[in-house]
Amino acid sequence: MGSIKDGGAAQITDAKQRYKSGVLKYVQMGYWDADYQPKDTDVLALFRITPQEGVDAEEAAAAVAGESSTATWTVVWTDRLTACDLYRAKAYRVDPVPNTGPGTKTEQQYFAYIAYDLDLFEGGSIANLTASIIGNVFGFKAIKALRLEDMRIPVAYLKTFQGPATGVVVERERLDKFGRPLLGATTKPKLGLSGRNYGRVVYEGLKGGLDFMKDDENINSQPFMHWRDRFLYCMEAVNKAAAATGEVKGHYLNVTAGTMEEMYERAEFAKSLGSIIVMIDLVIGYTAIQSMARWARNNDMILHLHRAGNSTYSRQKNHGMNFRVICKWMRMAGVDHIHAGTVVGKLEGDPLMIRGFYDTLLDTHTPEQLEKGLFFEQDWASHNKVMPVASGGIHAGQMHQLLHYLGEDVVLQFGGGTIGHPMGIQAGAVANRVALEAMVLARNEGRDYLNEGPRILQDAARWCSPLKAALDTWGDVTFNYESTDTADYVPTATASA
Amino acid sequence: MSASEILPLDLDALYRDSNVDASLEALERELIGLAPVKQRVREIAALLLVEKLRRSVGLQAEAPPLHMSFTGNPGTGKTTVAMRMASILHGLGYVRKGHLVAVTRDDLVGQYIGHTAPKTKEVLKRAMGGVLFIDEAYYLYRPENERDYGQEAIEILLQVMENQRDDLVVIFAGYQDRMERFFASNPGLASRVAHHVEFPDYGADELFAIAGLMLDRMQYVLSEPAAKALREYIALRKTRPNFANARSIRNALDRARLRQANRLFERRGGPLTPEMLSTIEGEDIRASRVFNGEEPHP
Amino acid sequence: MMTNQGNRITQGQFSFLPDLTDAQITKQLEYALQNGWAVGIEYTDDPHPRNTYWEMHGNPMFDLKDPAGILTEINACRKTFPNHYVRVTAFDSTRGVESPRMSYLVNRPAREAGFNVVREERGGRSVGYTIHSYATDKPEGERN
Repeated sequence: MGSIKDGGAAQITDAKQRYKSGVLKYVQMGYWDADYQPKDTDVLALFRITPQEGVDAEEAAAAVAGESSTATWTVVWTDRLTACDLYRAKAYRVDPVPNTGPGTKTEQQYFAYIAYDLDLFEGGSIANLTASIIGNVFGFKAIKALRLEDMRIPVAYLKTFQGPATGVVVERERLDKFGRPLLGATTKPKLGLSGRNYGRVVYEGLKGGLDFMKDDENINSQPFMHWRDRFLYCMEAVNKAAAATGEVKGHYLNVTAGTMEEMYERAEFAKSLGSIIVMIDLVIGYTAIQSMARWARNNDMILHLHRAGNSTYSRQKNHGMNFRVICKWMRMAGVDHIHAGTVVGKLEGDPLMIRGFYDTLLDTHTPEQLEKGLFFEQDWASHNKVMPVASGGIHAGQMHQLLHYLGEDVVLQFGGGTIGHPMGIQAGAVANRVALEAMVLARNEGRDYLNEGPRILQDAARWCSPLKAALDTWGDVTFNYESTDTADYVPTATASA
Repeated sequence: MSASEILPLDLDALYRDSNVDASLEALERELIGLAPVKQRVREIAALLLVEKLRRSVGLQAEAPPLHMSFTGNPGTGKTTVAMRMASILHGLGYVRKGHLVAVTRDDLVGQYIGHTAPKTKEVLKRAMGGVLFIDEAYYLYRPENERDYGQEAIEILLQVMENQRDDLVVIFAGYQDRMERFFASNPGLASRVAHHVEFPDYGADELFAIAGLMLDRMQYVLSEPAAKALREYIALRKTRPNFANARSIRNALDRARLRQANRLFERRGGPLTPEMLSTIEGEDIRASRVFNGEEPHP
Repeated sequence: MMTNQGNRITQGQFSFLPDLTDAQITKQLEYALQNGWAVGIEYTDDPHPRNTYWEMHGNPMFDLKDPAGILTEINACRKTFPNHYVRVTAFDSTRGVESPRMSYLVNRPAREAGFNVVREERGGRSVGYTIHSYATDKPEGERN
């Protein structure tokens, strides 16, 4: 890769020079075009690049554009048989990342904006899109590290995808639940319960006031509980709880399995028992997710996605990909629920970054908002909205913060906060539901519920002993670790402060 | 409570906080003349201000009666004053939202049996939190037809005026004489109307000033002969039928603009200045039918 | 009587709280109006979770500025149907929603009959479930 180290090159426009056998810089090959005006139909991507020593920013950006589109390491004459100018991705802008480079603790990084022509991609295939955008390029030697931060998917391309099978609006209509976050809990312990014991937890949680119970990501069909048993006991619990409350209830039956055939079989069985929702894990892969989304649309089923595995590539700030890109792909792929962070719980999450994920899942149109990590304006082309799920180390005592940060369209999953309640699972569910309803009531009344939150909860606890017990048990539990995934840009309002 | 106790009551602070001054100023700005009306509005505002203070120290338990009647000929500013009255009432906390819903008989009364109650209730719901302004209210009552549905609307209205005093204020508006007859035949309504405001016709000078204000807003000026013609026009027009005060002036000016445009168009090809574009000439006014004794436009 | 925590059906936004007072309802109505949502009032004697279409007490109310008129209608509905379920629904016409944004109960029967589960046993231990509303055991019109 010797040649790309010499800086200060420009695109070679003379065809004879350009297509002479040998090695050229990516800039010379035409993968950098500062004057390029992205078309409305282009797929846009923003990468965070840490170039190798001696590689300038434009060349690194051009290299990423090249390797994620038409380029190979050397010049090939067969390019000239194609409309290669069109197919070449164009890096059209590089910005130094704030707070990186000399004088900071971090090596110099750049944000590179790259535009891809729509014809580079197959319609309706996340697999094809990702094979280009994150296919080879992440192992490329000219860069030390590379992170895909955001994408702008053109409306023309979005329209080739199904989008969420059900969507937030129809999910709420089916559940007949409006104007408040939904409540859920993951059945605990994660592993080891028999089907009969497992269903007990589901019944208690739902009858106590939760809307959903949930399998965990690694509950599939193990020696202690095979999947049919789990489905039968859980659906007994769901239906009994629905009769006991008059509400529509659900349990996310995890249909993740080794093959598509096995997943379809499990999903069909869930349907035959009257379940309104099934669940899959991100680790089944993009194509399997799209298949299940299609099945869910065809069978009036809500599709819950657990983001199992996501942190292996989304957590480090300099390499991998940001979770907001996963959010976009999953909205295109067609899931209805996705775990998207809690702000206040035990798992990673800066408030503004998480709001950015939630906006990506819920907006009909998202403006560019750098402070939330949203680098592009995105029109969602009437795709349904995905319900974000907040799960992991949250409890009733944080209800004001949860409502404030996460809003109304979210499933709040209180696993430990329900099942670990000192007065029992039903009492745990009651505590969560009372806390939630009291907070929504106060918010709608125009109260400063974020600041008055603890007081609002204490007031409700005076007539609700389960809530009192919950506040006494977990009232002070917080997880104050610094986030690794934070905004590179501060909101302008406070920039001068 | 002892009367000698010194209470921290600040009438001026209440006046400022309630923004009543802003409403009164706006009234002054928007309406030429009408001195007796403005005086009356100021009196009502003062009364409401003091009543509010009295209530705050427990001197008065009941909300004061607030329903009103605005009587006078068309074009005398009744709707404009009603809008200001709504913001005064809002500023003082007598109505929660301060909007004005203006209706006539057609909005309240249905044509078939069973239509009137839902229609009237619909209007009342829209007006709640604000002021319901019923123009030409006497049309609700048609004694010549004993099965007229207007009576039903009046009854519903009465009930709400009495039982939901905190929820809305009703202003009845129309010609003085007809309104008097209306109240005389509906004593139940009359007894609930606490404030009567009479809107006199504008004097010739006031109408001329109103014309000036309107032209200002439309960015026109009168030439000297035009000003003279307009004064003569006003004097003549006031004596003719269907005179509607400010509304008649507005219509006259609109027609003058039309004639000015036509005049400029007819003489096109000659030099044209911005001044000419904005000037109304005497002939633009004198071409009015009023000057040759024909039936005027309304 | 129902056996859950509050001995009542728990549909709607605020079923776990003490019954809302008129003052509390007014504030919720105000919230809906501030958001530009139309408010509708519906009643039923059969609160089966799949019974979507309760009877409308008039059309949803559009273009109102103040909650007082809606509260009047709520009270009229409660007075006419004291032993029915009455719910208030707020409709949002925004693109991307076009669906209810609020829904809460403002009246319940004195005695809430609840539901039972009817199980249809099938092969392979599978079960078909039906939730049956006790309220519908009597013919329509004779239920209260």
